[in-house]
Amino acid sequence: MTGQKEANHDKNAFRPIDLLADDRWNKITIPLITILLTVLVASLIMILIGRSPVVAMKSFLQGSGLWPKAVYSPSKGMLTDLFSFLGIFSPMLLASLGVVVAMKGGMFNIGISGQMLASGFLATVFIGYSDLPSTIARPLILLIGILVGGLFGALVGYLKYRFNIHEVVSTIMFNYIISYITGFFINGYYADMITRTSRAVRTAARLQISDLTLMGQKISFPLGLPIALIAVFLIQFFINRTVSGFEIRMIGSNRICAQYAGVKVGRGLVRAMAISGMLAGLAGVTMYLGYYNTIVPKELSSMGYDSIAVALLGNLSPSGCIFASFLITIFQKGAVYMSSSTGVAKEIASVITGILLLFSATGMYIKYVAQRTRAKQSVLPSSNGNNQNGNGGNRI
Amino acid sequence: MDKEIIVEMKHITKLFPGVVANDDISISIQKGEIYALLGENGAGKSTLMSILFGLYQPDHGEIYIRGQKVTLESSRTAAELGIGMVHQHFKLIDNYTIAENIILCREPIHRLLGFLPAVDLKKANKEIRELSQKFHLEVDPEQKIEDINVSVQQRVEILKMLYREADILIFDEPTAILTPQEIEYLLDIMQELRRNGKTIILITHKLEEVKKIADRCAILRRGKLIKVLDVSRTSTLEMANLMVGKEFSFDINKTPARCGDVVLDVEHLSVRSENKVEVVHDVSFKVHQGEIFAIAGVSGNGQVEIADAIAGLIPVHSGTIRLNGRDITNLDVRERTEAGISYIPEDRQQVGMVADMTLAENMAIKSYYREPFAKRGILQPEVIKNYAEKLVRDYDVRTGSGVDTPMGSLSGGNQQKVLVAREIGLNSVLMIFVQPTRGLDIGAISHIHHQILDEREKGKAILLISLELSEIMDLADTIGVIFRGELLKIEDASKMTPSEVGRYMMGVRE
Repeated sequence: MTGQKEANHDKNAFRPIDLLADDRWNKITIPLITILLTVLVASLIMILIGRSPVVAMKSFLQGSGLWPKAVYSPSKGMLTDLFSFLGIFSPMLLASLGVVVAMKGGMFNIGISGQMLASGFLATVFIGYSDLPSTIARPLILLIGILVGGLFGALVGYLKYRFNIHEVVSTIMFNYIISYITGFFINGYYADMITRTSRAVRTAARLQISDLTLMGQKISFPLGLPIALIAVFLIQFFINRTVSGFEIRMIGSNRICAQYAGVKVGRGLVRAMAISGMLAGLAGVTMYLGYYNTIVPKELSSMGYDSIAVALLGNLSPSGCIFASFLITIFQKGAVYMSSSTGVAKEIASVITGILLLFSATGMYIKYVAQRTRAKQSVLPSSNGNNQNGNGGNRI
Repeated sequence: MDKEIIVEMKHITKLFPGVVANDDISISIQKGEIYALLGENGAGKSTLMSILFGLYQPDHGEIYIRGQKVTLESSRTAAELGIGMVHQHFKLIDNYTIAENIILCREPIHRLLGFLPAVDLKKANKEIRELSQKFHLEVDPEQKIEDINVSVQQRVEILKMLYREADILIFDEPTAILTPQEIEYLLDIMQELRRNGKTIILITHKLEEVKKIADRCAILRRGKLIKVLDVSRTSTLEMANLMVGKEFSFDINKTPARCGDVVLDVEHLSVRSENKVEVVHDVSFKVHQGEIFAIAGVSGNGQVEIADAIAGLIPVHSGTIRLNGRDITNLDVRERTEAGISYIPEDRQQVGMVADMTLAENMAIKSYYREPFAKRGILQPEVIKNYAEKLVRDYDVRTGSGVDTPMGSLSGGNQQKVLVAREIGLNSVLMIFVQPTRGLDIGAISHIHHQILDEREKGKAILLISLELSEIMDLADTIGVIFRGELLKIEDASKMTPSEVGRYMMGVRE
């Protein structure tokens, strides 16, 4: 084979297809295309139901505090909305990090919702209703979140390794179990007679500092925000720079090779799921004891599933998740305002999230087509190009 | 018998990344003959037949069926041309009956059921019963696949082809899963099919079958057509020699072995497969410093299991393994690596590397956790990168974008170089090489052979497992021949001729 000279020759010339085919660019270009396609399709839907897509898109941003509304009630403003947006953005980011860690280990954590609910419930019951001062209560809540989520995750990893129970099956089962058990206790012991949800947690225990004033606007600062941002850096570091992270990546990419290289696969699986669960637990307490202060019985948060979309859109990279959670939260959070200002049912947010997930799942396909097209292009002039990545042909 | 040419393949070349699977192969097959394709694993037989069956498209070359030039876009096109194939792994639906399996996805030429919306099972059962009687392929069409044994399942596959009126029948290693009695029966069926005017192409590496039923036989080696023989006028030994290719030898300057102390001492090793079959039976041998101990044998005779058991990937059933006098039988993989074992596995892509990780990371997958590659649990990417860059230079690995290239995008030869570099880099006392040059081109082969000899010069103990007799004759100081899990013969390499080794490989005992 004589693929060598032509591969080197072609490599330096930049072609437009490289924007999609080259790994340096497509980390950014493919998500951008995904978003563009989603906005296009969402607009099309809006037009079909006779609403202006521009108004709808704007009201999503307005509802998220990213675009000024026409009128605000007294002492409220764009910042009020923005911090409220960040309050739900933070657990979304934590949950998606949980998905990322599990996926790096080759597993699907469908149980994020259940792990969130379990840790949120236990933290509410043990600390949320107690008289502890906030300096003790808040750290304890975080600790419970980490512990409960981590234990559930570890259990799922152990079941997979020891008994070969697929994590998707066990987590779905746990989701139901957790949902019904917590529902039973909330309805029986902790329900608020009027709202039929769990009684509100005390303000001192809540993971949100309420009634702050910033530039004349009332805001609630979500404590989940710094936690989530710190978690992004820790997880990024853990996955890419630590020995454990390296083992988890190896197990996730090729378990047989990990075994061959002497990695303790079972330990790695348990560890990956435990960390995934810890992040889910943190997402749970920051959501149920932060953004909300109550739990609706027998209802799993859709965040556990949305976070899978977020993780995929974020290219399974922790920093990518910041951007992806931001985007999806805009649709989720902005939906209520969008609904009231355009009259479109707020469920459209789920439709848009679904479309986004669909397109982000096709990202790999776009990349594949682009790389194949590029390979074909480089074959044409010399008729014997054999290597997509131009790595010098096959001669040794 | 008429001499009509029914299948003609001209100058077929098929390239896979890093491997030339078929290199300018031309064969022509006469109507009504049994034509055998003989060759070792990886010789390109299955690829060639997959091209004929429309599963792969050739990069070069032309195919003529009954004199007509054809383009086989898919197996559907092939089926329409009357080509049928029995795959090594059957394609049957377990909870369907035999008849249901046979009529499933049948070709549109079928005239009986046509466009009728309901399947006429009665008619199908009757037809299949007749068909099976005609060709002596007794089956009960109403039995379910899950209730019948593999030999009957194979008959179903054959009936499936006949039902579709195929007259060019390809059998891919059909006897691999059968007992000796079942093999007899199958060979009889094939002869019966020939009497009925069918053309049969038999892919195999078993000489006795070829000798027994084939009219002609094409021998493939490393993707090349070596020779087409008239079976009745050729001895089994001659075929064996052509198949393993003793004339194919490198010029290697090998110094006489200077054997030192015993490094690896395997005593009475037995290994059982997952379904409790003994695949390695009471094997004992020693490998010394500076010695290349080669295990020769036809594939599937337990040689890979020996390597896996020594490396700790599969459990030992009985026996002991000692490394430098230390009993390592119960150590885990990492402890054995640390005790001094390097291992290049047979399947480099599935076992030996992580395709999505970078070249640099792949260089470190056995040492990433140790100083200086990691300090207190934190990886040192710069150290890993520098180490990988050094190995890439030393072993002449060709990459696209340096050590950050994803491992999966390297060519096969370069991937293997990475594995060799990594394993030699571990500086172990024992190095296990399984099929180290499988699927590589000649340049890469000679490169790796020199690397193996260099390690021997350094006084390493080397266990080489290969299906290539030429490789074994070139490199080995001591040869152990394995047959059905037993080492039949251990002998100094200089005292054995390739044909002797070949005889033991076929299970001949003294």
